[in-house]
Amino acid sequence: MTVSRLVTEALAVMAKDLRTEFRTRVALNALGLFALTVLAAVSYTVGPYRITAEDRPFLLAVLLWIVIFFAALAGLDRSFVKEEESHTAPLLRLAASPTAVWLGKLAFNLVLIYLLMAILVPLFCILMGYRIVLVEGFVVLLVVGGFALAVITTIVAAIIARALTRGALFSVLSLPLLLPLLIFLIQGTTGAAEGTSETISNALRAVVSMGGIMTIVSAVLFPVVWSE
Amino acid sequence: MRGAHILKWLLLVWLAVVIVAAFFYVHPAEGFIGESSRIVFFHVPMAWISVLAFLVSCIASVMYLKRRDPKDDIRASVSAGLGLLFAVLATTTGAVFARIMWNAYWNWDPRQTSITILLLIYAAYLALRGAIEDPERRASLSAVYAILAFVTVPFLVFIVPRIYWSLHPDTIINTRGANEFDARYTQVLMASLAGFTGLYVWLYTIGCRIEAIRQRRRQEVL
Repeated sequence: MTVSRLVTEALAVMAKDLRTEFRTRVALNALGLFALTVLAAVSYTVGPYRITAEDRPFLLAVLLWIVIFFAALAGLDRSFVKEEESHTAPLLRLAASPTAVWLGKLAFNLVLIYLLMAILVPLFCILMGYRIVLVEGFVVLLVVGGFALAVITTIVAAIIARALTRGALFSVLSLPLLLPLLIFLIQGTTGAAEGTSETISNALRAVVSMGGIMTIVSAVLFPVVWSE
Repeated sequence: MRGAHILKWLLLVWLAVVIVAAFFYVHPAEGFIGESSRIVFFHVPMAWISVLAFLVSCIASVMYLKRRDPKDDIRASVSAGLGLLFAVLATTTGAVFARIMWNAYWNWDPRQTSITILLLIYAAYLALRGAIEDPERRASLSAVYAILAFVTVPFLVFIVPRIYWSLHPDTIINTRGANEFDARYTQVLMASLAGFTGLYVWLYTIGCRIEAIRQRRRQEVL
């Protein structure tokens, strides 16, 4: 198969997913409302002044990434679960190659996660009074971290879509794989808030290598999951 | 069969000797409170087995995806079950040691974090197996998950501890270990590692045979 054909198929899968998503908005609502509710709860109970100045960079980074990760776990399984629930998966198997399906679903999840970040992160910084010193480094962390998050959740969503108890299983299976990523991203964000570029570059290296390895492994293993 | 029988008894004697040696042959190591250093002879082999079992499980998973032999699936699941058991034991013995040395059962030391995540991975793997009914689908999906989890482990074991500061004594397989422990320590620890590995192999073969019989019976019923 040529590369251009693969890209067209993947884009078609993504466009189809986006269109059906905007019809019902199940994943968007799950992701967005979860994030906003938790943000409201955190901001109400912790607020901008409860945490002492020296603890702020670290503790607020922890809160930010926990909100992002758990919001992702609330909605990113939809793309695959939906196919199984509406029994459209067999047709999709005939219509597109496994790699194209994987790329399309990954792109769809990326759109969702970046959309969530674009709304949530500025709101979080405003409501919690979180000052980021190195904004460029922070944005790079968000982009790379969002990518790694989407890669891992996409392959796990593909696995749990074929199982019986889907909702609970998604978090159970994703969290052990996501925890190292969460640790690196919190560390990097702390560095961005404190203004130490060395911490950011250390965290970035770890996140990029983890995201890269997961991308390769997912690309190799996805056809097995999908055609099973 | 006869040879296996002798080996089984040999293993029993071997482990009994290791236990006695751990308490009477070696002196408590310097730098550790009281007799707490003796737990090393049981804690380290348990941690080693939990990692070894995980490795075996992953290799069996890769083999399954390659050959599609149901036996490989049995191997992967039995090894994961044993790994979970030994990971729980390693965590418990580690917590006891932590209580004596650092005055707290749990302080989220990087080593404790990584064993906890290993526990979570095993639990997730077994939960996934429980949630899929079709045997072939269960085998291949859980094999994929085992491989994904295996890719995560090096990050936990090697990179996270470098980012965070650790209280845990250096792991045994490094050059400095020789300075902290005397020769008797190394002898007993190696003997214990060998004994526990033998125990794992024995439990693993029994587990595989039981699971194979169970599957055959299920097919006969159907």
